[in-house]
Amino acid sequence: MLIRTPKAWELPESIVTPERDYELRPRRDFLKTLGLGLAGAALGSRAGLATTAGFPSKVNPDYRDPALKPTPYEYITSYNNFYEFGMDKADPKPNANKGWKTEPWTVEIAGLVNKPIKIEANDLVEKMGGVEQRVYRFRCVEAWSMVIPWDGFPLAKLVAFADPKPEARFLRMTTFLDLKNAPGQRAGNLEYPYVEGLRLDEANHELAFIATGIYGRAIPNQNGAPLRLVTPWKYGFKCVKSIVKFEFVARQPRNTWNIMAANEYGFYANVNPNVDHPRWSQASERVIGGGGVLGSRQKTLLFNGYEKQVAGLYQGLDLKRNY
Amino acid sequence: MSLLEKLLRSKAVVWTLIVLPGLWPAWPFFIRPDSSALADPLKFVLHHLGFVACLLLATVLTFSPLRVLFPKWGIALALNRHRRLVGVSAFVYGALHFTTHLVYEGGTDVSTLPSILRTALEKPFQLTGLITLTILFVLAITSLQVFVRWLGGRRWKNLHRLAYVAAALAAYHQAAARKIFPVQVLWIFVPLLLLELARIVRQRTHRPPQTRRADAAMPAKP
Repeated sequence: MLIRTPKAWELPESIVTPERDYELRPRRDFLKTLGLGLAGAALGSRAGLATTAGFPSKVNPDYRDPALKPTPYEYITSYNNFYEFGMDKADPKPNANKGWKTEPWTVEIAGLVNKPIKIEANDLVEKMGGVEQRVYRFRCVEAWSMVIPWDGFPLAKLVAFADPKPEARFLRMTTFLDLKNAPGQRAGNLEYPYVEGLRLDEANHELAFIATGIYGRAIPNQNGAPLRLVTPWKYGFKCVKSIVKFEFVARQPRNTWNIMAANEYGFYANVNPNVDHPRWSQASERVIGGGGVLGSRQKTLLFNGYEKQVAGLYQGLDLKRNY
Repeated sequence: MSLLEKLLRSKAVVWTLIVLPGLWPAWPFFIRPDSSALADPLKFVLHHLGFVACLLLATVLTFSPLRVLFPKWGIALALNRHRRLVGVSAFVYGALHFTTHLVYEGGTDVSTLPSILRTALEKPFQLTGLITLTILFVLAITSLQVFVRWLGGRRWKNLHRLAYVAAALAAYHQAAARKIFPVQVLWIFVPLLLLELARIVRQRTHRPPQTRRADAAMPAKP
């Protein structure tokens, strides 16, 4: 077919933020800049954009390093891994928007907690006190990187809300399972549902974040709507998407990629330029949207540049063995 | 002679078929912007060139089993006229893929070359690609008429059997480029494998006619 009808989730080219216009303003200013004005209010409820509670988000000035230049929205939302919707980085955008519903969405908090609960994602966001915006580096294990303005809430708030029992030492997070709407799950390209885990002190770290938005609006399906983990000092595969269950457990859970290839992907997945992937070097990374045909490459930083904040978590831990 | 056969006999047609896939990466730049390809355009180019190299290598290796299995099929005969051209083009795409890798890893800064090559030697995934390219280079060079004559038919043929080693290494290299085994590798290399197996079976069960004639000419033992 030669004539393409734009899908409901396809944002018009005009909405994409030119980098020069984008200065990390609160959402209302941001939309005004785009000339959308009040029309923006309806934007959040478009098909494919879930969990609208808490917007507009407030920029958290503590996580707004002016040296970080955010990657354009169009690249963040069209170049990413979400194996549930296909193995190619171009797959998630079309495939996650063919009828997969991310609203309403029930999240379960379970395991060794005093307050187990099943709660709708929007209600959870309200309970967390709304959303704030933080600009984080994002480093994929495949040696490419972005800078992403996430909207969401600190994971520590959710941990406090769950009120874990003293014997809880790890947090296990599980992605949705929907064979009907997720072609990758149907094909069985990984063991599903996707599972990730954090030590409880990692989950309580100030940087650990649950994202419900990108660039001041609800996170698109392909990026893990309605809520996903963001741990900027770890490789991207750690950042489990579209979470349905937070389970507090006593023993270290096995994470999906570790089950698939234990020699290549560990539990910690901390970004480390000195520990190579068996198939490629981790010393440097491609900058997505780096410009030009040749693009650009930069040196990878220990803990993805968050060494000062997180190194304390891993004192005495052999990072070469616990990759 | 069918139209397809006529077309495939033509060098111009085969040249076109070889060059066109190399132009494909220009699509997201000039025809229809594709943000997924433009996020890191060089990576898109890199993977594409490697993919075409694998495809051409697998393709050229099907030519001779096709001729053995279907000796009277015009298309198989037409294809076999272009073995050298298609084989050399697999090397050219491989060389472009490797050059792109060097730029992808180090930009235009030549001082990064030693560390890129060191990494390539250390990682089996990358080393297999490098060995494949080396084999294809040797085969491409020795395809020059002067080398064919210098080596002599039998030695030349034995040397060029390395193409099968190259194909096996290329299949591994292509599969290892992804975090999970890509099915693409199967549909490129499995048909080749099946054809080769069929050829081996065929050659074992049917001896070539010359041998049979020679046998027949031998005087029967008393």
